Amino acid sequence: MNLTLVSRRQRALPYCAPFSETRVTDRAMRIAVHRARKGKATMESFSWQQNFDRTVAGLVRAIPIPQEISEWFANEKLLTATAKHSWRKAVRNPVTIAIALALLVIAGVFAIKLREKMQDFPGSATARKLLTVASSTRSIILDPVKTDAGALGDLFFMKHRLEHYDVPAEFADFHAIGCRVFDDDEAHRVAQIWVVERRMQLFLFPAEKQKDGREADWKGWRYVEQEGWAGVVQQRNGVYFMAALRGKKKDLAPYLPKSQD
Amino acid sequence: MTGDVGKAQEAFRSTVREAARRAADGEPPPDRLWFFREARWRCLAVCDEGIQAEHIEMGEEELSADAADQLARLDAEQLAIWIAGAPEPQRTALALFYLDEFDHHELLSLLEIKVTELSALLAKARRQFQAWLDAVVQIEAQ
Repeated sequence: MNLTLVSRRQRALPYCAPFSETRVTDRAMRIAVHRARKGKATMESFSWQQNFDRTVAGLVRAIPIPQEISEWFANEKLLTATAKHSWRKAVRNPVTIAIALALLVIAGVFAIKLREKMQDFPGSATARKLLTVASSTRSIILDPVKTDAGALGDLFFMKHRLEHYDVPAEFADFHAIGCRVFDDDEAHRVAQIWVVERRMQLFLFPAEKQKDGREADWKGWRYVEQEGWAGVVQQRNGVYFMAALRGKKKDLAPYLPKSQD
Repeated sequence: MTGDVGKAQEAFRSTVREAARRAADGEPPPDRLWFFREARWRCLAVCDEGIQAEHIEMGEEELSADAADQLARLDAEQLAIWIAGAPEPQRTALALFYLDEFDHHELLSLLEIKVTELSALLAKARRQFQAWLDAVVQIEAQ
């Protein structure tokens, strides 16, 4: 709609303005009536028009109506369709659909959170954080090495005094091309290894102490997932080991012993 | 609309019969506007039968401050005849507008015209009515 049309419409509205306040239900009409009442040029003529229309309507109401017709109008609702409240209509109502969608989303989020909670284990929060580190790490920031990942345990011990920072046998034969040791607020001293196999990254970090001060004590492999990255974690001698890659749990499963999968 | 009680009743009865037939067929009129829309066309059909009034170009005058006082001297039936003599769609526009039953969106839906057309019809009718009032009230005063 162009501006000329809008202006023509706005100018036209006062001429068909209702003379009863109850009929002014439309915003555009309300504005047009307000302008006509307040405008210097239109105030007088609009007032005459409204008086004229009210008087005509009064005369119209005085036109005699045959009894048959006036009686029928009292029962007009008998013949018009009444709205049926069916389940189908209620289900198709946009409000119902919106509420149902909102409940589904809430239920979905709740289910995901519950699933995450059930899969949680001591150290899972740190493992997830290290998955984020893995996703942002470039191989060039690591110190270049040319050896098997399993051999780096000695390097960590001798150079950084990190005891029991040993890569498990399942990942020990992978060829490493870089490694580094860095400090993290939550994970403390973290060893990171980059291996050729599927551009996998291996992490070693100290196990968290439990609330009663004891070392975390759980066996086997546990999975964590975060933003398109998957990790598999093992705890041994107070040190966590995590192998991480971009993908899903199923991409890591082939590297683990069948009984531990 | 018709200027004749008999014709109006005929249009009314046929509208109610049609509504009853639809209701019996399980398709009752969807809303009250249906009755007015149907009645309008039936009134026009009834008016098309018989002798037709000659079309006269009416004079126009701007609404005056004392138009309401002039109107007060008129009979309701004089007004009904004046409205019934207006050409279509001005006649329906006046009849429905002064019934004070509809907002302007409903009026546009019933008349199947644009807001600018409705305004023009009503404004012209007011001016013509003022000219007619000036003439009639003067004659009555004499």
